[in-house]
Amino acid sequence: MTRLLTVENLTVQFDTTEGRITAVDDVSFSLDRGRVLGVVGESGSGKSVTAKALMKLNPGNAVYGGQSKITLHLDGGEVDVMALRKARDLRIVRGGAISMIFQEPMASFAPALTVGSQMVEQLLIHSDMSKKRAREISIEMLDRVGIPDPVRRFGQYAFELSGGMRQRAMIAMALSTHPKLLIADEPTTALDVTIQAQVIDLMKELVAEFHMGIIFITHDLGVIAQTADDIAVMYLGKIVETGPVRQVIRAPAHPYTRGLLAALPRLDDLDAPLTPIPGDIPSPLERPEGCVFHTRCGEIIGDVCRGQVPCFHAVGEGRAAACHLYDHNGEGSA
Amino acid sequence: MYQFTRFVAMRAVMAMLTLIIVSFIVFSLMEMVPGDCAERYLAFKNTQGSMISIADIEAERIRLGLDKPFMVRWLVWIWHAFQGDFGESCILRLNISQLLSDKFLISLGIALAALVLAYLIALPVGIISATSKSKVLNNTLRLVSYLGLALPNFLLALMIMLFSTVVYGNSLTGLFSPQMRDAPWSWDKAMDFLGHAWLPVFILGWSATAFAIQTVRALMSDEVGKLYVTAAKARGISGWRLLRRYPARHALGPIINSLGFDLNRIFNELPVVALILTLTEAGSLLIEALARSNDQQLAGAIIFLLTGSIVALNFATDVLLAIVDPRVRHSIMGGGK
Repeated sequence: MTRLLTVENLTVQFDTTEGRITAVDDVSFSLDRGRVLGVVGESGSGKSVTAKALMKLNPGNAVYGGQSKITLHLDGGEVDVMALRKARDLRIVRGGAISMIFQEPMASFAPALTVGSQMVEQLLIHSDMSKKRAREISIEMLDRVGIPDPVRRFGQYAFELSGGMRQRAMIAMALSTHPKLLIADEPTTALDVTIQAQVIDLMKELVAEFHMGIIFITHDLGVIAQTADDIAVMYLGKIVETGPVRQVIRAPAHPYTRGLLAALPRLDDLDAPLTPIPGDIPSPLERPEGCVFHTRCGEIIGDVCRGQVPCFHAVGEGRAAACHLYDHNGEGSA
Repeated sequence: MYQFTRFVAMRAVMAMLTLIIVSFIVFSLMEMVPGDCAERYLAFKNTQGSMISIADIEAERIRLGLDKPFMVRWLVWIWHAFQGDFGESCILRLNISQLLSDKFLISLGIALAALVLAYLIALPVGIISATSKSKVLNNTLRLVSYLGLALPNFLLALMIMLFSTVVYGNSLTGLFSPQMRDAPWSWDKAMDFLGHAWLPVFILGWSATAFAIQTVRALMSDEVGKLYVTAAKARGISGWRLLRRYPARHALGPIINSLGFDLNRIFNELPVVALILTLTEAGSLLIEALARSNDQQLAGAIIFLLTGSIVALNFATDVLLAIVDPRVRHSIMGGGK
C-alpha cells in the first residue's frame, strides 16, 4: 500500500486571553491511500483541530509546536504542510490534494451564492480549465452523487436544497477537484438517520472509485464501525488508542475506549443501564498531569498514572494503546 | 420576474400608504397649533399697522378654504402635495414650492453626499479593521470612530469655522458666495456651490462615517467567523477574492438595510449644522418656520418632503435588498422562481 499522509508529533496550542491552551498534544498517525481512518472522541478532544491542521485552517491564534511535522506523499513528491505559507502554495492542501466536508452542509455553503458558482469557482482556482468545462464537470459531479435534476440544482442556492441533498452537493464539490485525501468532519451528524446511511454508502463508494484516503471525524462509534478501516481514539488532545476498527471495537484496550463503548445505548438490551464515563472532561486550562485520562479512569493503577505520560504499547496486531496497564508489553509504534 | 414586479408594486403601494399616513399626522399637527393661517396672517398685518376686523379674518378664512371640514382640507392638501403644490406660506404669503425651490434639493443633496462619503470611507476601513489582526490599526480606528461618535457636529463646525477665520481670515459659511446667491444656476454657480458645500458634507459625514464604520465592522466580524468562510478557505479561495465574494458580499444586505436609518439621522443633524454655517437650506427653514414664525403651512411642507425622501429611500433599499440577497428574494416569492 502507498502511504498518503504522515503526521508526526503534531502539537497545536491556542493563545487566548486566559492563557495558552493545548488542543492537540504530540499526536502522530499515518494514512494509506484507499483507507479510511476514523477519528473518534468527545467534543474538545482535539479531533477537529487535528483535521484543520492538515489544511492549516486553524485560526490565527493557533501556535504549532516546533516538532510538528505533516507530510503529504503525492505522486509529484512530498509536501511539507507546515512549511506552506503563501496562499498560492496553501492551495495544494486547501481544495487541491485535500478537501474537507463540514458538519453542517447548510452553513458551509455561502448563502447568497449559488451552489454552482461555488463549485465552478473552486475548479477554476485549482486548474486552468474553461468556465464552460468547469460547469460541465460540476454538473457531472452533482449527477454522480445522486442529485436528481443536476442542471437545475446547479443554479440553486443551498437553502433551496434538502439537508441530504446539501451534504451530497458538498461531497460533489469536495471531490470535483479529485483530491487525494478527504477530511470529513462529522459529515453525517446533522442528518437524519436514513439520510446518514445513504451519505455513508455514497462516501464508501466514492473512496473506492477515486482511490482516496479519508479521515472521518465523528463522535459516533456506530458510524465509525460502518465506515472506517482503522480507528484513532482521541481524548483531551491525545490519541489514546489506535488499530483496525473491528478489533478495537470488539476488544478495546484503553480504559477510555472501553468507557466510550460501554456508554453506548444498546438496542438489543433495552433494560441495560447506561454506564457513562464518570466525571466531566477537564477544562483545557487544567490539563491533568501524567495520563490525561487518569481523573476519570476506573482502572487507575497508582501514582504512575498521575505522574507519567504513558507511551504507546502494542496490544495486538497493528494495535496500540497509550496506557500504563500495558507497561510490560514493550513499546509499540506511535 | 412577475413575482418580483408584484413585490416592487406591493412595496410601492406600502410606501405610498406610509406617506399618506404621515401626511395625515403632519396635517393634524399643523392643525393643533393654536389659531389658523388667517388669524396669524392678519395678526401679522396688524403689527404692521393695518386695522383688521373679524369680518376680514372670516373673509380670509373662506379665501384659504379654512371653513371646510378637517378631512376635506386634508384631502385637498395631500392631493396638491403629491403634485408638488404646498399652497402658500401663512406668514410670507409666498408660494411654498417657489420659496423652497432648490433649497430642499440642496438639503437632500448634502445629506446624500454625506451618506455616500460615509460609506465610501466606512466600507474599506470597516472591512480592513474587521479582518486585520493589527492591534495598532484597530485601536487607532476605534479612537477615531469614538471621536466621530462623541464629538458633536455643531462643535466640529464651530471649531472648523474658528480655525479658518483665525488662520485664513475666511469665515467659510453659507452655500454660495454673496455674488452668486441670487444668480440663476450656471456652471460657475455649481462650482461655487461645490466649493462651499464640502464643509457641511464633511461635518455631517464625520459622525455618519463613525457610525457606518462601526456598522460595517460589526457585520463583517460576524460574517468572517462563519463556517462558509472557513469552508471557502478550505477550497483554496484566498485574499481579496475571499473577502469580496464571501463575508463582504454577505454583509451587504444588513448594510443596505441600515442606509435608511443613516439618512434619517443625517437629516436630523443637518439643521443644527446649517444654523451654525448659516446655510439657507430646508432644515434651517424648518426650524425657522417651527420655532420662530410659527408658519404651519411651510413647516408641514418641509416635514412632508423629508419623510417622503426617507420613505422613498427605504423603498429603494427594500428593492435593492431583494436584488442582492437571494434569501430575501426567495421569501418574497414564496419559493417560486
